[in-house]
Amino acid sequence: MHFVTGGAYNGKRQWVRDRYPEAKWISAYNGSPILAELDAPVVVLEGLEKWVRENSYTREEWKRQIEKWLNWENESSFQRVVLIGTDISKGIVPMEKEHRGWRDLTGWVYQDVAAVSKRVDLIWYGVNQTIKG
Amino acid sequence: MIFITGGVRSGKSTFAEKLATQKAIELEGDLHYLATGVPSDEEMEKRIERHQQERQVSHLNWTTWEQSTKIETIASSFSKKDVVLLDCVTTLLNNELFSQKEWDTEILGRLVRGFETIQENCAELILVSNEVLWEGISGNELVLQYSRILGHLHQALVARSDHAYLVESGIPILMKGERQ
Repeated sequence: MHFVTGGAYNGKRQWVRDRYPEAKWISAYNGSPILAELDAPVVVLEGLEKWVRENSYTREEWKRQIEKWLNWENESSFQRVVLIGTDISKGIVPMEKEHRGWRDLTGWVYQDVAAVSKRVDLIWYGVNQTIKG
Repeated sequence: MIFITGGVRSGKSTFAEKLATQKAIELEGDLHYLATGVPSDEEMEKRIERHQQERQVSHLNWTTWEQSTKIETIASSFSKKDVVLLDCVTTLLNNELFSQKEWDTEILGRLVRGFETIQENCAELILVSNEVLWEGISGNELVLQYSRILGHLHQALVARSDHAYLVESGIPILMKGERQ
């Protein structure tokens, strides 16, 4: 698993496209559901923060989902999941309780994803910094 | 071109001024300060004044240019040995956006050409900008469009820069380029 994160409009999509031109692309921004079948050797799942907001999963349920992706990846050395998640954690604490909850859960899910990812990259205006792997 | 960004009060302007001074000494060129801020209230005036005083205490002389829009119009004022420090990119973007009645779709290209023109006419253009794209962006279409333009502008500037820095609590982190 390869986790790619960074602020909004920092060039994450372009960076991943350049590295995985052959990947099947599933994006939350196009309204795709999270549980879309992983049926290509390399699958990019874009917009993790949006899926976190839209699904009613708890952190534990997210952990199980991450495990499913890992299991699929382990079926073959050619299979890989690339997760893209926008960092939404560095602003002012939101006024709305719901918004705070979303931000908290997103941060935890990112920690859990990063913990099991072989590689983690932080994208800053098109430049990557490999922070794990 | 050198690109420097950071949050509010991160020390990015101080670092940029230090870097500009070093460059000017190396090149034996002049230092120019391109101020894009239009003082809108008393606090802003004080802030600008403080930055001006800080530049005065350094032993090199700065020439200050106040240009809130269309920076390319003063490009011919510089020489190939000069260092130009522009502070800051977000203010310039805001000035350009709010100086027109309608949303200008060409604004990104026009701004990038402005920076390129200045760079072509001096030894080094040092750009200071703000980190503002780190929170859950709201559904407000105007905010989304603004964030998109700013993000794309930063990407274009980092791509054109030999060195790019992110300043955190006064510490510059080199994000692009070889250590100088």
